[in-house]
Amino acid sequence: MVQVATALLRASLTLAMQYRSDFLIDMLTGVLRTLAAVAPIALVFSQRETILGWTAPEVTLVAGLYFLMQAALAGLVEPNLGEIVEAVRSGSLDFVLLKPADAQVLVSMRRVDPAHLWDLLAAVLLLGWSISAMEPPSLADVGAAAVLLCSGLAAMYGIWLLAICTSFYFVRVDNLRFLLWSITDAGRWPLQVFARWIQLVLVVVIPVAVITTFPALALRGTWSPSLLATGVAVGIAFLVGSRWAWRASLAFYTSASS
Amino acid sequence: MTAIARALPDLFRVGFAGIVAYRAEMTIWILTATLPLIMLALWNAVAAEGPVAGFDQVEIARYFAATLLVRQLTSVWLVWEMNYEIRSGRLSQKLLKPMHPLIQYAVEMIVSVPFRSVILTPLLAALLLWRPELWKTPAPTAVALFVVSLALAWSINFLVQAVFASFSFWVDKTDGLFGVWFAAWSLLSGYIAPLDTFPDWARQILVLLPFHGMLGLPVEILGSFIAPGDALPQVGLQVFWVVVLATVLAVLWRAGIRRYGAFGA
Repeated sequence: MVQVATALLRASLTLAMQYRSDFLIDMLTGVLRTLAAVAPIALVFSQRETILGWTAPEVTLVAGLYFLMQAALAGLVEPNLGEIVEAVRSGSLDFVLLKPADAQVLVSMRRVDPAHLWDLLAAVLLLGWSISAMEPPSLADVGAAAVLLCSGLAAMYGIWLLAICTSFYFVRVDNLRFLLWSITDAGRWPLQVFARWIQLVLVVVIPVAVITTFPALALRGTWSPSLLATGVAVGIAFLVGSRWAWRASLAFYTSASS
Repeated sequence: MTAIARALPDLFRVGFAGIVAYRAEMTIWILTATLPLIMLALWNAVAAEGPVAGFDQVEIARYFAATLLVRQLTSVWLVWEMNYEIRSGRLSQKLLKPMHPLIQYAVEMIVSVPFRSVILTPLLAALLLWRPELWKTPAPTAVALFVVSLALAWSINFLVQAVFASFSFWVDKTDGLFGVWFAAWSLLSGYIAPLDTFPDWARQILVLLPFHGMLGLPVEILGSFIAPGDALPQVGLQVFWVVVLATVLAVLWRAGIRRYGAFGA
């Protein structure tokens, strides 16, 4: 399975390298996107020392985690979504299903979008600055943050796979992912900013808070075992749930010729 | 000219039927503009301890409710549409009709406004029922100025996207380039924060750029954050940007259409 994954990665990187002219534009967009994320933080903290107990480095930490999630999701997972929607519609998913490897691995890793390496760079910069400006976290804090980050990634992968699954049942869902992205935008900010019911949505329905606010809480040392348990539970639930939905969707798929 | 005027009602009818046919898709597009609500929550939390840059919590809420509305009513998706039609050669169909393609595009985009209003009216009505203090009746002159400013904001949006889309007469993909512009726009137009929260020197520069005329100005007029008298020169600036962009577009279009070699042409 690792061999399959690396082979797929190499193939899609080669494909992406063909479009070198996009490189400069991607870089410029990346820089501006980072600025657009940092500017409101600068504006808010030019007016206040803290908001709801969060300092500027702590809010930047949340934004940095959001960029990390964006790099992983938009760079590794999302490019495949559009292809699968099209493959289901045209029936070319048959070619994937015929291959002797798990179809979920194949469809999840067919394409990589290297443009989002800029998001990764932004994430490293923001995380580096914010963590160095904060109280150094304890080893337990870092451990909890790492666990929450992984379960957050699993949860976000799960919700994206669920979105893919809807394309088996409905024909036009290509803009569903834009809706998904626009809701995850809320994850750029500490969860406490939002009303209670929105907080619940951002943890359980579109679990972006698990990957942004939760690890940030861990790194600032204000986490509890119940927070850790919630994060892990959400991650596992989305991973298992999406796997189950994928199986059910495949069973529903009738291919092009039938 | 009179022929175009005669054809317009039918064009509007056809365009609106197209929007209604894809109503589910259109509704999802409308719902994707959640950013004003996110920024509302953020700035609301900031203003909880006292006014920020002169905005209290009610004014913050009114500002971003107005932002949501203006963003929807000035929304245009011409870059993607034109890009696709130039690359695929579908532009030829528009060129065959006895009417400038840009007029056809403008009609296609503008017919989404009534549909958007139908979706938005109950949402905004519910918001005002829930928080009636958000409503502040603008002066009649402000209402008139808002309508003018909104139309100009729509025009700037349309012209900017048409300029970016025209680049695809020469290069393959221009939506990436437009992404750069869009990032700058969201930062500088008043979309993520009222321009009053920027440092004073920055604000003085920003009101001169086209971004403010694309969103911030109509929002400020509608929310009574600016007196109609003070807004008038700003509306003049919007007219200036419309003229500049229309001139640039005319030059680009004329040169581009000469290069355009569609499939089968």
